[in-house]
Amino acid sequence: MNKIMYLEFERCIGCRACLAACRECGGHDAKERNYVEYVDFMESRQTYPMLCMQCKDPACARVCPANAIQITEEGVVLSAMEEKCIGCRNCTFGCPFGIPKFDFEENKMYKCDMCYDRSKHDIAPMCASVCPSEAIRFIDFDEMQELRRKRTQMNLIEGKKPAEHDKWQYVPEFFGVYSD
Amino acid sequence: MKQLERSFYSKTSMYSFFVIVLLFFSMWIGTSQFKHIDMALIGYMISSFIFAIGLTVRMCSWLIRPATHQVIKRSFKNLKTKERKKRNIKSIATTAFENIVLQKFIFKRGLYRGIQHFLIAWGCIGSFAITFGLTFGWMHFDLIDPDTYQIIVMGIPTIIMPAHGIFAEMVYNGLNITALMVLVGVIMAITRRIRSKDVKVTQRVEFDLFPLYLLLAVTGTGLLLTVLYTFLEGWMHPYMSLVHQVTVVVLLIYFPFGKLFHLPIRPLATAVPLNYQETVKVDTRACLKCNTPYSSDDQIEDVKGILGAQAFDLKLADGSYLSDYCPACRRRIRVMKQLNMEAPLGNPYDPVQTRNGIHISGFGKKRQDEFYNKATKSDSKQEERV
Amino acid sequence: MSEFVVKPGVKNLVHDDEKLVTTHCSYCGMQCGMHIRVHKKTGKIMGVEPRYDWPVTMGKMCPKGVTAYQQVQHPDRIKRPLIKKNGKFVESSWKEALDLIETKFKELQSKYGKDSLSVFGGVSMTNEKCYLVGKYARVALGTRYIDYNGRFCMSSAAGGFIKTFGIDRGSTLPWPELEHSDCFFMAGSNTAECHPTSIQWFWKAKDKGAKMIVVDPRETPTARVADVHLDLKPGTDSALANGMMHLIIREGYVDEDYVRERCNNYEELKEAVKLFTPEYTSEITGVAVEKIVKAAHIYGRSPRSVVMFARGVEQQSKGVDNVALYSSMALLRGQVGKFASGVATFTGQGNGQGGREHGQKADLLPGYRKLTDPEAVKYISSVWGINPEDMPKPGVSAYEMFDEIQNGNIRAMHVICSNPAVSAPNTEHIWSGFRKLDFLVVSDFFLSETAEFADVVLPATSWAEDEGTTTNLEGRVIRIRKVIEPVGESKPDWLIMKEIAERMGKGKHFNYDNPGEIFEELRIASKGGKADYSGITYDRIVKEDGVFWPCPSEDHPGTPTMFKERFDTPDGKANLAVVNWKPAGEYPTEDFPHILTTGRVVYHYLSGNQTRRIDFLMEQCPVPYAEMHPELASQYNLSSGDYVRLTTRRSAMDLEVRITKAIRNDTVFVPYHWGKELAVNQLTNPCLDPVSRMPEFKVCAVKMQKTAAPEASLK
Repeated sequence: MNKIMYLEFERCIGCRACLAACRECGGHDAKERNYVEYVDFMESRQTYPMLCMQCKDPACARVCPANAIQITEEGVVLSAMEEKCIGCRNCTFGCPFGIPKFDFEENKMYKCDMCYDRSKHDIAPMCASVCPSEAIRFIDFDEMQELRRKRTQMNLIEGKKPAEHDKWQYVPEFFGVYSD
Repeated sequence: MKQLERSFYSKTSMYSFFVIVLLFFSMWIGTSQFKHIDMALIGYMISSFIFAIGLTVRMCSWLIRPATHQVIKRSFKNLKTKERKKRNIKSIATTAFENIVLQKFIFKRGLYRGIQHFLIAWGCIGSFAITFGLTFGWMHFDLIDPDTYQIIVMGIPTIIMPAHGIFAEMVYNGLNITALMVLVGVIMAITRRIRSKDVKVTQRVEFDLFPLYLLLAVTGTGLLLTVLYTFLEGWMHPYMSLVHQVTVVVLLIYFPFGKLFHLPIRPLATAVPLNYQETVKVDTRACLKCNTPYSSDDQIEDVKGILGAQAFDLKLADGSYLSDYCPACRRRIRVMKQLNMEAPLGNPYDPVQTRNGIHISGFGKKRQDEFYNKATKSDSKQEERV
Repeated sequence: MSEFVVKPGVKNLVHDDEKLVTTHCSYCGMQCGMHIRVHKKTGKIMGVEPRYDWPVTMGKMCPKGVTAYQQVQHPDRIKRPLIKKNGKFVESSWKEALDLIETKFKELQSKYGKDSLSVFGGVSMTNEKCYLVGKYARVALGTRYIDYNGRFCMSSAAGGFIKTFGIDRGSTLPWPELEHSDCFFMAGSNTAECHPTSIQWFWKAKDKGAKMIVVDPRETPTARVADVHLDLKPGTDSALANGMMHLIIREGYVDEDYVRERCNNYEELKEAVKLFTPEYTSEITGVAVEKIVKAAHIYGRSPRSVVMFARGVEQQSKGVDNVALYSSMALLRGQVGKFASGVATFTGQGNGQGGREHGQKADLLPGYRKLTDPEAVKYISSVWGINPEDMPKPGVSAYEMFDEIQNGNIRAMHVICSNPAVSAPNTEHIWSGFRKLDFLVVSDFFLSETAEFADVVLPATSWAEDEGTTTNLEGRVIRIRKVIEPVGESKPDWLIMKEIAERMGKGKHFNYDNPGEIFEELRIASKGGKADYSGITYDRIVKEDGVFWPCPSEDHPGTPTMFKERFDTPDGKANLAVVNWKPAGEYPTEDFPHILTTGRVVYHYLSGNQTRRIDFLMEQCPVPYAEMHPELASQYNLSSGDYVRLTTRRSAMDLEVRITKAIRNDTVFVPYHWGKELAVNQLTNPCLDPVSRMPEFKVCAVKMQKTAAPEASLK
């Protein structure tokens, strides 16, 4: 698999099709693993989608006392193995992005696995497939690099270059989920 | 202690050595100074020793992991704390009963899965208990008189039973009963793994299917042995016995290194009520930002400790750590950074503006106003023709 | 013909034990392409798979689309006919139900005349069925009283388009061209929530630098990223459009050649908009002068622009005028009939486009023919095999049918694929109408609020159990496939109508064995009409990714872009709208000081009869709410989660409050997808547009009062 998930929060229209689609994916047991939330509904209708970054060295796996979080050969970080998970929820607190979910009834953690049965065949995960706003995309790594380059160029063309006083505005403009 | 440790290659080898010594000692007692060793079981015995060493090695390497170490350390500390005695006992008792004996959480994943796992789990544990009991000679039967047997455990005579009573039959057939349990459970498990598309998504042959086939082979050959000497007067019995022995040896050696290793680590589940969550779903620590309870102080301390031990720097500029925030706030922090919205922009009376004129996420290209100034009528005409 | 249509090189996940059936979503006018997963052995529907190669939506779906398949085998499905006995529904056989309908219909007609029966249709079904509803009413029942729920949805757009362009096709351009446009002027459309899958085209255009001007009292997700958000007062669109045209003319952005060659009324228009200076417009609409000026400049300078609108401007007592005015804006800039530019409305219902073309409207015959035109009556009579004298005269519009019930003229009604008990304005009037009827038959596949009033409920099939075609919001005729056999004893609507027709002694006019035969008749019936389908075949639809009408012959390529050469008016020229300012039917007064507007949420569809039964959608949005600005809320000491009583001149209801700055501070918004005591249409104003007879759902005056939370929580 040499594609990545690519998020652009600003495009999100908050329809939550990705949540509905997540439930449809094989092995997801009709529970969504991604998030769509309002930044602050009082202030604006801006919503954002959020899903697992598929870290190369995932903090969730590091804090798991049962060693239950495994990474596939493609680099996808899977849900805790059901037989190992002891239900301590360390992963939900260790994850810097607040991704893993926990099911108290079944006593297990579950998380985004990039629709492993789809993405391992290079078919886009359900959330990226249905996202009407393309806030979630499943694209080639090179395409992502291209998108980033374009942004930098556009900023330069319009004479916008980070300076000491406003460099904070130039935060990373992409949010890639790698699994190459 | 330190001195002792240094005379070994590693801690692990030290523990392995002591496990072997302990096993030998127990055998020595159980078999009354090696008088009752059943030489037919010698193959099983050797593989059981390998099993013991394998298990020790795996347990040690597991305990060395910073995450496991931290949890175990806190568990021991809490166990030693007198004030927590009530909580400790309750935690251990409920976990042992609900989580391990009844395996309630698996039944909640589905009745089928619950039954299947219950059968395999207790079938295996029972089989292991009987096998180890016999091979290490911890337990043997003595004929007191022609009609009465006595069970000797660790050289101490215990229950006396009539040789042909129901209880005796159950004891003799103990392995057959447990094997049947495993057989049914394993067939259920294999069926599920063949039929369910959902399970197939992340299933791996060597990890998820191999142990099932191995268990099937062990129980199948074992039960066949019983069939052979009960109904076919021992026809092919020696060969079958050898085949069975081979499957058991493979199982014992494989056990500590494959999926079945989840059995010895399951008791760690006690740590959850013991250290972190006295009552399920009741959180005591509030999020630094939104104040909703999301965890307990001890757990967050442990998580920070574990991450720290592995050089994970998740500290923010203001000195707080990401794990000080609830998962929802952590997601939001991430997005606010990305969208450049940590500080409100624009008129506070209006909705928040998420665009700052810098090309960040989304909508890469903004046109200069000149584009529109250029588009006079003649231009647009021209474009039409093109 | 294979049921699974996929282009070479497109990868889909197909499980070994499943097959995919290619079809479209059951809900809105986007008609998103999808494959439905069916288990080969059991024939059960397993789920949905994106249709990546459908050119309009590229596999995208909204949450309704993703979960649409869950309707089909839903436990709430009506599986056998229901007859109300002593106020309770009892399951019965088809024979018993049809016997009862036959007796009642014949009895009422002999007592009160042919017109005592009425048919209330809907457009969330295939062209074949919609076509047949018109024929069923006029031929099988012989009544003049037929109308449909599109009256609450599309008729103002239709009226405005016909007035301006002479023909009513929702979009003058195919959707994928939107990507290449330079400017969108979107009025009264919460696109992101109501037609989410169209957002991809706007965002793609925006990536290339397109500008967006959004006209909406709320800062919707589309307005949030707009270059100019014209946050007007509900009901002031005509002033805003006039103001925009004032500036377009003043600043010299008019394409004079185009207007001279292709439009009428230019001088009159100039005269009419003279008054609408930015200051005057701002005074009426409440939009800041700078914003209006900026919007006019952006729109005026864009080489390619699309003016788009939806229910926000149409569901008003001035709906037709609003549509005509906004369309005129595009005409002034010479944008209609060109690449990546034009005028479009967002069709609300699945087949809102196709369903209104083929004779479900009180005054229309198939092919968009006028019932008042003797030639049209003659032609259609010949197709139907009836005497032109037997063709009933035009009836009345949907809401007015309920007045006829109150007057005692309509005695029985057959409601097909509609839920007016929720979707009509001033619902208490509707409910009393239903109670007054002697006999009510409802065909539906879930027990809707309307069906609860019925004497007989006939179990219809869902969209996945029948073949057919629909026409999406572009005017593209597309193919709906049968995925599974009808659930239980349910029957497709065309078969139900056929069987009732046979009982009424008109069986020979309804001699169909499958929807294909109905479509063949529809092709002939529409031939030579404005909405000409005669060149469209099922095979062509599959081969060509849908065919755009008008398509007068099989070798005609269809018409993706309308009005390239001429308009469909008698003189071939478009009519610019000349409209003076007129306030909405109701405006804030001292007693009712605020404006109430209604709309959709992304999770629900129309009256919610389908979507309120889907778990995921109900988890996201279980009950309606009142959305308002914190400034307005603080006047009544309300905070989020409190309850407020909204009272209009018609009724009152209690709602939970949601506070956001993303709405005007004089407007309250309530979504309309719920029935009974949760229906906001209890409050809305049935003030009708004089031309389209569309009620004014979007504007009414309201007063507010803080109230305690309801004691029995709504669970």
